[in-house]
Amino acid sequence: MLRPRLNLRAKLALLSLLLLALPWVGYRYVQEMERFLLEGQRQALVATARAVATALHDRPQLMGARPRTGRSVLDDRMSLSPGEELMEATPPRALASEAAFGEPVAEVEAILTGLERTTSRIWVLNRDLRVLALAGSLKAPAPGPSEAAQPPWERVWHRVLGWIVPPPGEDFDDTLERDTLASGREVYDALLGAPASRVRKSRDGKAVIVSAAHPIWSGDRVLGAVVVEESTNPILLVRNQALERLLLLTLAVLAVSAVLVFGFASRLSLRIRRLRDEAENAIDARGRIGALVTGSAARDEVGDLSRSFSALLDRLARHHAYLEGMASRLSHELRTPVAVVRSSLENLHAETLPPGARTYMERAEAGLGRLSRILSRMSEATRLDQALASTDSERFDLRAVVAECIDGYRMVHPQRQFEALLPDYPAWVRGAPDLAAQMLDKLVDNAADFATPGTPIRIELAFHTTSVALSVSNHGPTLPPGFDDRPFEAASAPGRRDGNEPHLGLGLYVARMIADFHGGTLHTANLPDGDGVCVTAVLRLA
Amino acid sequence: MGRRIAIVEDEAAIRANYAEALARQGYEVAAYPDRPSALAAFRVRLPELAIIDIGLGDEPEGGFTLCGELRALSVRVPIIFLTARDSDFDVVSGLRLGADDYLTKDVSLPHLLARIAALFRRVEALAGEQAREERLDRSGLGLDVMRLVATWQGLAVDLTLTEFWMVHTLAKTPGHVKSRDQLMQDARLVDDGTITSHVKRIRRKFAAIDPSFDRIESVYGMGYRWKA
Repeated sequence: MLRPRLNLRAKLALLSLLLLALPWVGYRYVQEMERFLLEGQRQALVATARAVATALHDRPQLMGARPRTGRSVLDDRMSLSPGEELMEATPPRALASEAAFGEPVAEVEAILTGLERTTSRIWVLNRDLRVLALAGSLKAPAPGPSEAAQPPWERVWHRVLGWIVPPPGEDFDDTLERDTLASGREVYDALLGAPASRVRKSRDGKAVIVSAAHPIWSGDRVLGAVVVEESTNPILLVRNQALERLLLLTLAVLAVSAVLVFGFASRLSLRIRRLRDEAENAIDARGRIGALVTGSAARDEVGDLSRSFSALLDRLARHHAYLEGMASRLSHELRTPVAVVRSSLENLHAETLPPGARTYMERAEAGLGRLSRILSRMSEATRLDQALASTDSERFDLRAVVAECIDGYRMVHPQRQFEALLPDYPAWVRGAPDLAAQMLDKLVDNAADFATPGTPIRIELAFHTTSVALSVSNHGPTLPPGFDDRPFEAASAPGRRDGNEPHLGLGLYVARMIADFHGGTLHTANLPDGDGVCVTAVLRLA
Repeated sequence: MGRRIAIVEDEAAIRANYAEALARQGYEVAAYPDRPSALAAFRVRLPELAIIDIGLGDEPEGGFTLCGELRALSVRVPIIFLTARDSDFDVVSGLRLGADDYLTKDVSLPHLLARIAALFRRVEALAGEQAREERLDRSGLGLDVMRLVATWQGLAVDLTLTEFWMVHTLAKTPGHVKSRDQLMQDARLVDDGTITSHVKRIRRKFAAIDPSFDRIESVYGMGYRWKA
């Protein structure tokens, strides 16, 4: 399964989505505040209702008045009158005359007039839910600042905001449904003698209205109720302003923190990527280990990582150098004991030996010769390394060198068959011709070592777009799998060989060093038909 | 009384073996394990040829120092470095200090003896003790086999014994390709890996006298030849 690749920046961006919880928390807070304000408004309304009721307490003559408008909130057929069963058996006192009727109403009206300037609507109801007086309006006066005064961006901002949080409108339907008052719990409770409050929607659902009711007492009798209503628009206004500021702040914080997080992540991933590139380049194509170009001095973890990388590479380089020098040091160290053996054997020659000893002498000398050859091969790579460092590059025709080499091989190994496939025109490369010849020597030596007797060794020079490929192939045993992945293991070539010449795979190693010197690469591969090996050196054309 | 050869070598077994082998050839051999004792002996009496190891005991470069000191005592004593080191750098440093030859320790005794004999012949020839001349002249190149002196267009080319023998082998049969094996045999070399660097050094020495020198030709895949 392919898993999506998330880089550090994307991960941090995902993490910073958590910041989106901030506006939600803020919204919850604003909601709490709104609830709190609403509670306050209810309390205030109850207090207002109580104040108005206080003015009307113990004035039964007012309560007996007929409503000025003559309209009743309740139908006559409405069977259930609140508080009916609680009412005293004594009917309301009969009013003196019709003429006296307007007087108490006027008095109630006068009391209420003083309250008219508020944004609340005050009802005075008698026990029969008849409206005795009504004052005030739910709607606020005309909206203050006109939109034209605002700068355009603010208008756009408000329009966008209006989408998210609709502003409270003043155009709600403030008429009262016939049964609203009657079915209102607060009116019920008030007529039962308990002050109460309620929150309801306006008839068209556009606004929320808080109403509070307080009973009007006459002695221990409830004469009626004062109902105070107010829309919650001021609270909504406050809430909207809070939300607006919250949104603005959140957006600002989000923007700032997004920029910071992105910058931080970019810088972090840049540093890590740079470290990765440097670490990758620290080991070059020849397997040499260099130091990190910039050992970071930063005092954080990435700096630490870079420093420990440096230290690691340093140790690795030392170990590598130790291993690289191992072959030459080993051959150096072994030379002295070999010299002891050799000189001893040669001194033995001068002695008179028993007849059977001659055979052993010969065997010992053959073994010694082999040991010497191994030693000199082991130091060859080191010597070549020194030679490469002091060799100047020149432009030469690789085809001519290869052709000459093949002539030489045919003369030196007449028993071997060489197949040459050379292009018709010269292949100019930059390097050293004798090194190129040495490389071909090693490739051909290697091929000859493994070729099945009687099969030809094929040497091919072919052009690619910007390079030329020199390949040497032979029939014989194939390479073990993964051989090409171990280019730097000097002795990784399989050590099979029939004769008594040592074979450590150093030849290919030397060839690879020379290919590298020419800015090229060396590949080994099995032949397509699986009965041989092809070693190809790809060199850049000059 | 044979010629007097000094061996300075810290490895007792090699020292004894070489001393015995040389004594068997009739040379008078004095063997020293370290630099101070050798130097003290040289101050008393100069040897006629010195074989010096580079690493002497706890002095890794003691042989180089001793070579310089011996050269200061005598300009003409032939000096052969015999060492386990074979890096080009060591070879060049050794020869620059005035050594006549530089051999790695896996040289066989016959090869060593041949070199010693050649160096003694040269000393004799220089002293004029032997009138017999053996010269090889090829257009511009003059090789005095007795004195081991090479000249190019009349000017002396400062070749070591090994290099001289390689040039001699090539120039003896101009136009013929000499394989690495042949060069190794004739120059009494042991290690064919060093032939390339020897040829390079020889070319450089000739080029120092004549920048257009191109007589030693590489025949890829086969060896080298002297261009007639």
